[in-house]
Amino acid sequence: MGRVAGKKLFSIMALCAMIGLLLLPIVVSLPSLAIGADAPDAVKKEGAATVEKGRDVYYKTEGIVVGAPAPKTVDGPRDYPRYNFESRVLLWFANQQHLYYGSFVLAVPIFCMVIEFMGVVTKDKAMSKRYDQLAHDFIKISLTAYSLTAILGGILIFTFLTLYPAFFGYLSSIFRPVMHIYALMFVAESGTLYIYYYGWDKMTDGFLKWIHLSMSVVLNVIGTLLMFLANSWIGFMMSPAGVDEQGRYLGNIWHVIHTALWNPLNVHRILGNMAFGGGVVAAYAAYKFLASKTDEDRAHYDWMGYIAMALGVAFLIPLPFAGYWLMREVYAYRQQMGITLMGGLLAWLFIIQATMIGILFLSTNYYLWQALGRMRGAEKYQRYIKYLVFVLCCGFLVFITPHTIVMTPAELKAMGGQQHPVLGNYGVMSAKNGGINVIITTTILSFVWYMRGNKVSTVSWSKFGNIFMGVFFGCAYVNIIWLAIYGYYIPANVRVGLSVPQVATTLSCLFFMFPLNAAMMKGAKQMGAIEWGKISVRSQYALIMLATAFTWMMGLMGYIRSSVRLFWHVNEIMRDNSPWAYTHTVGFAANMISFNVLFFWVSILFVFWLGSLGMKKAPVEIKAGVPGGAPQPAGGH
Amino acid sequence: MKALMSVAALIGVVGILLLAAMTVGIIPSNTVRLLEGYMPVQLVLELILFVAGFTGISYMMAAMGMAFPRFWQGILMWAFVLLYLKFRVYPPIPFSVRAMYGAVSLVAVFMWVSANEEDWKKFKQPIMNVLDAKTGGIRILRYAYLIILPLLIGGFSYNAMVPKSEEPIELRTVHPAPPASTKVHGKTYTLQTSQNPYRINLEGKYDQDYSNAMTVEQGMGRLMKPNANPWDKDAQGYLKYVREGGEIFYQNCHFCHGDNLNGRGLHAFAFNPIPANFTDPGTIAQLQETFIFWRVAKGGIGLPNEAGPWASVMPPWEQHLTVDEIWKVVLFEYWHTGYYPRTWD
Repeated sequence: MGRVAGKKLFSIMALCAMIGLLLLPIVVSLPSLAIGADAPDAVKKEGAATVEKGRDVYYKTEGIVVGAPAPKTVDGPRDYPRYNFESRVLLWFANQQHLYYGSFVLAVPIFCMVIEFMGVVTKDKAMSKRYDQLAHDFIKISLTAYSLTAILGGILIFTFLTLYPAFFGYLSSIFRPVMHIYALMFVAESGTLYIYYYGWDKMTDGFLKWIHLSMSVVLNVIGTLLMFLANSWIGFMMSPAGVDEQGRYLGNIWHVIHTALWNPLNVHRILGNMAFGGGVVAAYAAYKFLASKTDEDRAHYDWMGYIAMALGVAFLIPLPFAGYWLMREVYAYRQQMGITLMGGLLAWLFIIQATMIGILFLSTNYYLWQALGRMRGAEKYQRYIKYLVFVLCCGFLVFITPHTIVMTPAELKAMGGQQHPVLGNYGVMSAKNGGINVIITTTILSFVWYMRGNKVSTVSWSKFGNIFMGVFFGCAYVNIIWLAIYGYYIPANVRVGLSVPQVATTLSCLFFMFPLNAAMMKGAKQMGAIEWGKISVRSQYALIMLATAFTWMMGLMGYIRSSVRLFWHVNEIMRDNSPWAYTHTVGFAANMISFNVLFFWVSILFVFWLGSLGMKKAPVEIKAGVPGGAPQPAGGH
Repeated sequence: MKALMSVAALIGVVGILLLAAMTVGIIPSNTVRLLEGYMPVQLVLELILFVAGFTGISYMMAAMGMAFPRFWQGILMWAFVLLYLKFRVYPPIPFSVRAMYGAVSLVAVFMWVSANEEDWKKFKQPIMNVLDAKTGGIRILRYAYLIILPLLIGGFSYNAMVPKSEEPIELRTVHPAPPASTKVHGKTYTLQTSQNPYRINLEGKYDQDYSNAMTVEQGMGRLMKPNANPWDKDAQGYLKYVREGGEIFYQNCHFCHGDNLNGRGLHAFAFNPIPANFTDPGTIAQLQETFIFWRVAKGGIGLPNEAGPWASVMPPWEQHLTVDEIWKVVLFEYWHTGYYPRTWD
């Protein structure tokens, strides 16, 4: 057998091993997956007369009771042992750090998969090598972060066991059939990650490279399933199912996992993790750019920052829609929960969240406008930026307008009522939907400008194409704003449905205008190459801002999602009777989130430093600014 | 192009003069009226006009060889936004919201003036000139800034920290979160699923589409639909119940909530905040009918702890009205405002 054939065989075997690892947890746990698997034994032992049935609180189906009721906790050392510190805050910290790192290590492999794929399909060999090296560097960082994630996971479990034993005991009793699947998924994730990483240099070309790429797909499938399982716990805590009113497990683990909010949470978290991962990598690149001493380094990190930002923003654009879906499902599940979130106790945190979302999009646009500066010929677009600023600003102002306004009693009196006749209209969902869609559409427009910045279309229909594009964007804005206004004149359920055409309008700009632009720019005349590295430092601060805003927003949204349960460990099933079953003030929460963000960034810098110790120097075969040799950013530009 | 820009410049000058007059109090803010029901759109259109006006002024000045420095463009643009929010929009916008808008506008101005290197250089130039202080006059100006800026910051800080006798800022909940169910006159109602028993069609079945078609038109005037007059003596079913609800409303509720349901009743201004304005799209239009039923039945005093912080003196009407009467009042409120209760289907 030749050496190459041996390698191929080895690669296929490694891939099969990965798939085996993926399937292992499921195979091992098949008996417990059977509906009510434990129940028949119990029935056999005690006889049919003792069978007790319960009604599922969510699915309303009947099932045989196979679990103990949720414990009725009392404040004391048995149920709530503690240090001389607020246990909830300790748990908050442990949970948040684990989540940050968990998101990072789940996102980076997806990120690497995309970059590696770009490297494989790119025809330019130098570029291909660069993409490959970038993906390799980041999986290495991911390895270090992975260890830290596992350590933080351990700390989190110990914190639960030490400070909330009754609650954790109950939760693990409910999820007992899948607890070991979760643990085995970790084994599978670790195994595949190491094979993927150490097999990198051994599978560099042709068929072997595709096998390697397939490994990253398996790795990401495992990671995603792992996250889905973790999400099922928080889904259960918010919208329990599979148990009766006393919290007794009814034997159907799928009901416990597949709660009302599980799927919206899954989608939201995948997109969020990816956007977060892109943001963190972009911030890393920005930091390295600012610290660079040579033009080559600056060019490399400028390029890296752009790629990371583009990937992050690709997932950021659909993120508000996924969030909207989640909130809609929350409202549908419990009106009380929805109102507490968006109109009641936590409404101001949502305004802060809207502000952070706005900052994300503003930072992205600002970065793109700055990036136009490294292209010759982009001046023709720069003069119109002020109008984009105006449109963005209007959308942002509407989007952050609070429904619950903070004011003094004197201001309240001067306003003549609880609702401001102007701002009151901006403070509700119909207007806010319009606001965010205007922001996203403008971001798409900025991307289109960026992609054609240094090019002049040479296709015969370029004039028609430009007019069509202008009219398309114009109609999109009109449609979005018109629907936002029309929303006030129709029933609420129809109004909620109006978000669909609004989102469709925004996404059609993305899905039709990008390809149209790419078609127009095919064979376009280049006014000059992209001069990587010749970008203002302000752009790099925008990237850092982007990443910080992501991190802060993740912390905030996690807090909001958790707080909406108010005084319940498991909503309406298990009450929180600890002394900390109250909602923190907005100020305390903001400080705590900021502390978590700061801690994460300090620790991730340490991880980056560790990663950089053994990092290979990126090959820069292409000198920055050489026409024709410039790296091609994502999106066909 | 020049003609177009001239018109824009004219609009800009008129706008600036009007705003300046409103700022110094020569003319009141409502000289150019904000039309009820159309205010939000009107405001956005005004801002677009202003931006077009500023573009025209800038263009004309450049054409006349008197290009306006970018630094002052940025500063004045921000000042314009602050003044517009403070002196043009009425009723007055609370400071917290103006602060948010002001901060966003400042960021927007920064993004505009630093969008490209050339503009950023132009914007920075006056600041750099002062810092470099190459001439005697500018050196004096630099020293003046050295003294004035700390004094200003100190003054603002002192003003912010000094104890005041004003009532403190209140962060209250506009929509208190409802419980999952509520018990009124011995019967439990699940808020998610209960329905108004009087929202029915001619066959006596619950039918929201039918009742929606009978509510008044939204917008100015709130006109009744043809053949949908609850005060018609022959009115039956839904419309009859609306009339009965109206009678209950005018016997019990209108003293505070007002004849037009806009929260400006006879006694309204004895309270702060004044009672809820049902004609505002941010109140009952956002909520399920059962939510209103619960709020009317339990009043301010019956709100659960987790619904706080709240400020409501509404009586618990279950002590004065029957369940049927409460449902009918709710029916009337939606009919009169022209809003449709929120549903989740």
